[in-house]
Amino acid sequence: MSIQIHNPGTLPVNDNIPGNDYAFCVDLAGTPWFTSKGAMIAYYGNVAFEPLSRTNLTAMVASQFSSPLYADDWVVAQGQGKLILGDRGYNINSFDLDDGNLTIRASNLLAFEPGLSLKQSIVPGFLTLLGTGKFLASSNGPVMFAEPPLRVDPQALVGWADCPSPSHHFDAAWMHSFLSVVGGFFGMDSDEERQFDFTGAGTVLVQSSEKVLDDGHVYRHIESQTVQLSQASLLQLHRSIGARIQT
Amino acid sequence: MQGNRMLVAELANETIRAISGSMVAYDGAVTFKNAGVGGGDGFKAAFKRKMTGESLSLMDVTGSGTVYFAVDAQDITILELANDTLHVEASQLLALVGQLRTDVKFTGLRGATSGQGLFTTTVTGTGTIAVLSAGGPIIALEVAPQYPLVVDPDAFVAFHGQLNQTFVTDVTWRSAVGGGNGEAFSLRFDGQGIVYIQPEER
Repeated sequence: MSIQIHNPGTLPVNDNIPGNDYAFCVDLAGTPWFTSKGAMIAYYGNVAFEPLSRTNLTAMVASQFSSPLYADDWVVAQGQGKLILGDRGYNINSFDLDDGNLTIRASNLLAFEPGLSLKQSIVPGFLTLLGTGKFLASSNGPVMFAEPPLRVDPQALVGWADCPSPSHHFDAAWMHSFLSVVGGFFGMDSDEERQFDFTGAGTVLVQSSEKVLDDGHVYRHIESQTVQLSQASLLQLHRSIGARIQT
Repeated sequence: MQGNRMLVAELANETIRAISGSMVAYDGAVTFKNAGVGGGDGFKAAFKRKMTGESLSLMDVTGSGTVYFAVDAQDITILELANDTLHVEASQLLALVGQLRTDVKFTGLRGATSGQGLFTTTVTGTGTIAVLSAGGPIIALEVAPQYPLVVDPDAFVAFHGQLNQTFVTDVTWRSAVGGGNGEAFSLRFDGQGIVYIQPEER
């Protein structure tokens, strides 16, 4: 048999499975990890997975996981063993943060060490990690690292480190036509005219695909924002969504 | 093999059995024949298959020439079997050559939620088997008495050896995969053997 056979002794320690960019092995040795639900495909050893609301590490969770919106999507893995993670056949990479900050698309974050603390980004569907430690991220195709100034298609954006949050950029020609056409409001869905504009010093992570599969995070973020709306605004939102569903 | 996602079979007056619909191209004097109900294993296997929902539809590819097989650009791995039995998910089996017969085996209460079926396909004998792996290359994991393995049923592809397969419904696993679309069962393997998994969950 030509393929390499792994056992707990030969599996890598916190690295990709050899020859396989799409699976990653985490060495669980006493210190817990936060892992995203569903990322686990197999494990060796004595490992317990606990929901954030029902773990004996409540203090750690409360201080490191500051995002009620995502708490249901994560578990704490504790014990001794080797975990193998996979995510929809996406490339998986591990990154080290050293007293740094990094913001990443929520559906691309698979696991992180509790040395890092998690916060919700202001940008919908993104999470920010602060501190020192390792985390795992998936991307559809290998990740490319780029430096600002840079404009990125929102769907190709995986995350960014150290630089200020991006602003929206709209293509000048498109902006011109938008302003000249009264009520051209519904033309803004084609998305190619809209980019994220990064400035300042830092690193931007871009994937080689424009496909974003999981929009559930964005939805929940938007829904959570609606608590700020007044009754009249909610009715208006209801009407405009109703109109879009019918067309 | 060509790349990792195309299986190339050079036939010299031989027969290869492959999943129906997996041929993408061929050259030469080759005939394709549906292996019939039961994937060419006779009426008993066909009957079981019909009862169990473990769907396996094979075709006999016979003649001389070159035949190319592929399914959804999934990774392909070649496994050699020497008088042994391989348990494989029917959806992940691509092709068989040699003295091999397929059958269906009851595996217990697995996949009641995922529709994976309660049965698995076994391939017994001596020969070569091509299996599919979605989302990236297949991962082979050894199981020994001192280190059992727990696997997400949606990532499971195949196993062989003296393994005891049990279904774990413990709370901790259920919390790891989540409610809704998650799989409430995990597969635990004890004994001595090799388990193959894929990086993508079905």
